[in-house]
Amino acid sequence: MHNLSTVVKFEIVRSLKKKSFWLLSLAFPLMIAAVFAVIYFSNQATSQAGEELSKQKFSLAVTDESGIVKPEVLKALSAKQLDTKEEGVALVKEGKLDGFIFIPKDIGANEVQIYGKDVGIFDNNRYASVTQWLLSQSIDSKFNPSELAVVQQKVKTEVTTYQDGVERDAIKEAILPGVFLILLYLLITTFGGQMLASTTEEKENRVIEMILTTVRAKTLIVGKIVSMVILGFLQMAIVLIPVIVGYALLHTQLALPTIDLSELPVDWVRIGIGFVIFVLSFLLLTGLLVAIGAATPTAKEANSFFGVIMLLMFGPLYAVTLFVSSPDAGIVQFLSYFPFTAPIPLLLRNAVGNLELYQALISMVILAVSSMLVMMVAVRAFRYGALEYSRKLTLKEIFAKE
Amino acid sequence: MTNDAIINIRNFTMTFGKTKVIDKLSFEVRRGETFGLLGSNGSGKTTTIRALLGIFVPTAGSLTINGKPFDVATGAKLGYLPEERGLYRNEKVIDVMVYFGQLKGMTATAARDWSLEYLQRVDLADKAKITIGKLSGGQQQKIQLGVTIMNNPELLILDEPTKGFDPVNRRLLMDIIEEHQQKGATVVFVTHQMEEVERLCDRIILLKDGKAAEYGTIAAVKKRHNGASLDDIFVTVYGGKDES
Repeated sequence: MHNLSTVVKFEIVRSLKKKSFWLLSLAFPLMIAAVFAVIYFSNQATSQAGEELSKQKFSLAVTDESGIVKPEVLKALSAKQLDTKEEGVALVKEGKLDGFIFIPKDIGANEVQIYGKDVGIFDNNRYASVTQWLLSQSIDSKFNPSELAVVQQKVKTEVTTYQDGVERDAIKEAILPGVFLILLYLLITTFGGQMLASTTEEKENRVIEMILTTVRAKTLIVGKIVSMVILGFLQMAIVLIPVIVGYALLHTQLALPTIDLSELPVDWVRIGIGFVIFVLSFLLLTGLLVAIGAATPTAKEANSFFGVIMLLMFGPLYAVTLFVSSPDAGIVQFLSYFPFTAPIPLLLRNAVGNLELYQALISMVILAVSSMLVMMVAVRAFRYGALEYSRKLTLKEIFAKE
Repeated sequence: MTNDAIINIRNFTMTFGKTKVIDKLSFEVRRGETFGLLGSNGSGKTTTIRALLGIFVPTAGSLTINGKPFDVATGAKLGYLPEERGLYRNEKVIDVMVYFGQLKGMTATAARDWSLEYLQRVDLADKAKITIGKLSGGQQQKIQLGVTIMNNPELLILDEPTKGFDPVNRRLLMDIIEEHQQKGATVVFVTHQMEEVERLCDRIILLKDGKAAEYGTIAAVKKRHNGASLDDIFVTVYGGKDES
């Protein structure tokens, strides 16, 4: 294609020079970093505040109708035991007691009632913390460590499942093929607007006629799509590298689960299917967005179609449980084969392992053909819409016989 | 068709919906001449040029440059200044000029050198790294002209070239046209400014309702109208009405 490399280079270089590209690319990792920073500092603050709370000394009394609380635990807290609830509440009201805990006979059916001097929205939590500590300390000694684990619901489990006699871990198996689902989502949400605007720019700047006498419409569109794909992968790297580096350096501090990549099952067939579906879906969507941009006179008008495309593309996410549990359902089949809704269902089903090989092959063919058709439409829309500076092209005009 | 025709248009018809804009139009432009494609607004001048350059697909007829339909990859070295004009407003002057230079077949280095030389000539050397949107209208016109004449075109097609031009840029445009005439380039001048046509053109075609109302050398056309000026001929042909 004459001048293709020139178009691709120009499109890539000028995108890389734009601040908006870097802002959009870095917004996601920065947002993730900000969320984790908030979680981290919030955990730290809560933990510190909790420690400070436990060190606070305040006068406390308890009325225990359940008989659960042990005297030695009360003694450790220097808490008095009162005979009636009314007495405790009155003492708190008079300011002679900081806190009073009333434990009813059946705490399974009734609430433990706490009365205390108001010490502020955060510090008022100390009464509940002390109550929890009081009860757990009184009960813990009645069980051996194993019983305690059961009572505290801290029993660790390890599940080994088999399929046709072969051990398999469905969750771990889903991770690598599932990466493509996340990548597609990230790419489209952060890059979609740029794809949409890529073909309207020439029209808005009235440069289109000069361009079309130096490069064929087809070459220009293909060049734009190729540069979008390259920029998309670049953006993916910009998003992923900080996340991976951040995880490697900070996962302990952020209490994130440790992921041992060597433990992940590698199913090359599913990874390959995921990759091909990802690439074809990306091409389809890029072509679609470029076609819309080509058929509309301004980026602003093109943007009004963006929501519809996003709804088609990511709407199926609302039926995520259906794709996992009922892959043979009619609606799942329809959404998996209809090209504009197919990417998410296909990538999700491939990740969880319920996309049969023949279904994957059929859907790949559908996606490939659709991508080609959409690109042909994009070229036609661009050719016929190139000089429409003030109105949208109709479908009739796009598909009109030359 | 004469042997020295660079542009040859035969029985060209163009229909938009039910409206016939051009009706079996035939004419040729000879190599090395300056040709005036004239007519009022809506007479089909721009449509003819767009069809000649492959931007529009003709309803019928043939439009060729150097004996074949224009193709960006294999066609003539073309300099085209369209009626609707603009450049990438958010890109730097030098980047846009180099891009167009490369699209027209120059190497990046040659395009850069040529652009810097041109910018020097039009007193815009200090604007090379400024984004086009920040230039004044007149400065943008100079860049547009520069992009049009990059890579020494053998065929210059200028659609309403003086439209919106200030006197300085009008003079620059005329100088450029004369330079390219001297180098042997063919110039097609699409306009309804008769004064410039009389000064620059060898032959003309005057379109009305998508057909040739007049065609030939300026002298021959004038002779058919008893030596009237082109302005008067224009008014006579259109009956004092503008089609716009």
